[in-house]
Amino acid sequence: MNPSDTNDPLDALLRDQNDYIEDNGFTARVMGALPQRRRGGSLRSAVLLCATAICYVLAIWWVPWNLLRLGALLSFNGQALLAYGLLLAIFGSLLWGVIAALGWEE
Amino acid sequence: MSFSDADLIARVLSHEDQNAFSELVRRYQSPVRAFLTRMTHGDSHVADDLAQETFLKAWQKLHMFRGAARFSTWLFGIAFNEFRSACRVRKEIAWDNADTVAGFEEPVAARHTHLCLDLKEALKLLTPAERAAVILCCQNGLSHDEAAHVLDCPLGTVKTNILRGKEKLRRRLAMAYEHYESV
Repeated sequence: MNPSDTNDPLDALLRDQNDYIEDNGFTARVMGALPQRRRGGSLRSAVLLCATAICYVLAIWWVPWNLLRLGALLSFNGQALLAYGLLLAIFGSLLWGVIAALGWEE
Repeated sequence: MSFSDADLIARVLSHEDQNAFSELVRRYQSPVRAFLTRMTHGDSHVADDLAQETFLKAWQKLHMFRGAARFSTWLFGIAFNEFRSACRVRKEIAWDNADTVAGFEEPVAARHTHLCLDLKEALKLLTPAERAAVILCCQNGLSHDEAAHVLDCPLGTVKTNILRGKEKLRRRLAMAYEHYESV
């Protein structure tokens, strides 16, 4: 039940207190401060997703797959560590790109 | 001819019609500013700043309004988030700044013989969560579900906050009434 539906005198007093506030230039102030609204949100998402996908494919192309062996990683081979780092950066960038494209940054 | 909220929102989204948005601001500036004024203990300057931020956010995020809730409910949600954010960064607005409920020592209260003025003072005794729930449901007519959505908390919490808040208000108003009877 909504409390304002009751016959409680306190509810009536609270409702009486809900006075109208005159605009007094408030709307004009808001309208004067309006930023440009972002248009074409779906286009922006599509461009970002496409760019992310292209970068992802190119990055995958350049990954030295032959160095991505667990043995090489455990032996602290510099080249293997670099390859794993690159792979991590690719997946991180992909995730970041998708989040940005879908507008989850807010 | 009066357009519905949905018509105005559609015009803003399709034509970026600022006149339509200004009509929405005109329609809802009073409840949003009143809500924020109560939340900031009557500081209308801070409340108006927060209200302006609320409408600017609404302008930017209007494409995210799905129409599942009333437009006013959606606006109250943004306003409450603005208030919560302001509590984190502005020292003059504290989140846990409810006054003590026990005392009746402020001389200013004795000067106010009108019950409504006492209610304004009494609202300051509530915690922000209680105050928000009471204002939204009892003053602005939101349902408990809508208030839970605005305040981003479970339904049971809203009900508890309303009960607690109203109990504090009753106690405070009873004390004020006894005080006036005795002078």
